Amino acid sequence: MANAREISTRIKSIKDTMKITKAMYMMSSMKLRKAKQKLENTEPYFYGLQEQISDILLHFPDMQHLFFDNRGKDLLEDKKRRAFIVITGDKGMAGAYNHNVIKKAQELIDEADSYRLFVVGELGRHFFASQGYKLEDNFCYSANNPSIHRARMITENIVERYKNEEFDEVYVVFTGMVNSIKEEVIVQEILPLKTHQFIKNELLEQSQKGLGNSDKEVAMEADDWFLIYPSPRKVLEKLVYNYVTGFVYGALVESSASEENARMMAMQSATDNANEMLRELQVEYNRIRQAAITQEITEVIGGAKALRNKKKKQAR
Amino acid sequence: MNTFTLKVIACDRVFYEGPCEIMKFPGYDGQMAVMAHHENMTTSIEVGEIQFRTPDGVNHVAIVSDGLIQVKNNQVNVIVYSAERPDEIDAFRAQAAKERALEQMQQKQSIIEYHISRASLSRAMARLSGHDRYVSK
Repeated sequence: MANAREISTRIKSIKDTMKITKAMYMMSSMKLRKAKQKLENTEPYFYGLQEQISDILLHFPDMQHLFFDNRGKDLLEDKKRRAFIVITGDKGMAGAYNHNVIKKAQELIDEADSYRLFVVGELGRHFFASQGYKLEDNFCYSANNPSIHRARMITENIVERYKNEEFDEVYVVFTGMVNSIKEEVIVQEILPLKTHQFIKNELLEQSQKGLGNSDKEVAMEADDWFLIYPSPRKVLEKLVYNYVTGFVYGALVESSASEENARMMAMQSATDNANEMLRELQVEYNRIRQAAITQEITEVIGGAKALRNKKKKQAR
Repeated sequence: MNTFTLKVIACDRVFYEGPCEIMKFPGYDGQMAVMAHHENMTTSIEVGEIQFRTPDGVNHVAIVSDGLIQVKNNQVNVIVYSAERPDEIDAFRAQAAKERALEQMQQKQSIIEYHISRASLSRAMARLSGHDRYVSK
């Protein structure tokens, strides 16, 4: 059994660690709140864009464009060059957050015929570099404190390369919040855009609004003429940039919210564990101290008794 | 004067939502304006400033980055990356951004990087000119 001094040093060190975990918990909860607010703020923008894309595609369902999935060459080639944007955290101490997203990304990469890897976040970059994966140069973005500026830089980088046909498909691997407790790794293909998906959504929405109770009415709705200036192609191209930027921004913000959430929970359980340990150590410490005191008392009593006996003997 | 509903959506907030009499914006090949009962239209908007007049006769100005405008049934949606009032603009930051972009363009860089720098330069210039015109007099 350890002695009292050792235990008290241990208790002190645990208390110090607990201070850190508590502080990190507070910081994460604050950042989480900020990230959630950001996410909420971008919603009208994102939905507005989605609606516009659907609107245009509904009117020009047959438009062929590099950005859409009905490209002619898609039918001919079956080998896809894929690009992955993986969003991880900048630092650890966030439970399984980084591990989950990295594992998923690794699976996808190992499946792909050829890949290009764009990693956001220091931790993920470090991991993939150390595992011998080929990372893109000049793609160093922090996951901390996402901004629309960063999202735009990432998008311009990716879309420009996509337009140069360096790859055929772009996926984003990130972590999203299912609800306030649960989070999940999400894999989303952002380019090329799924045309039929948009059209389906739009039709669904219109039928829900009661605009089109029958297919005929929906078709009539689609028939109404409107002007697209300078040309549908130009407008769509712009729209796609904005859409991808909006998506990347959303993914960045949601990932950072998930990260902070994961860190918050990890720190909460660390604090709980520290409390539990402290309780046990305190009990043990008390026991040892009590044992020491009892022993001393016994010794004193024993000594006194021996002395008394000696005196008695002498007196006799 | 007839009005229409204007909604200016930036990526981090809804900048303005409400009635409006006329709205001017930098279009694909020059300035354009929308008034009430404009035909349905979708078009792009360039980096620059939009002006709109509300029914109380006040002229509002916003510095916007590129995006799209949709006119549909007397409702106008402006969807842009950013929209700021001139007095919200941080002139020092814009100046710094402009200088940074200029410096980057001096250096040898790939075509992608060149596009990015040029876009940031045009945004910084729009901010600066908006700020100069309306704030510092």
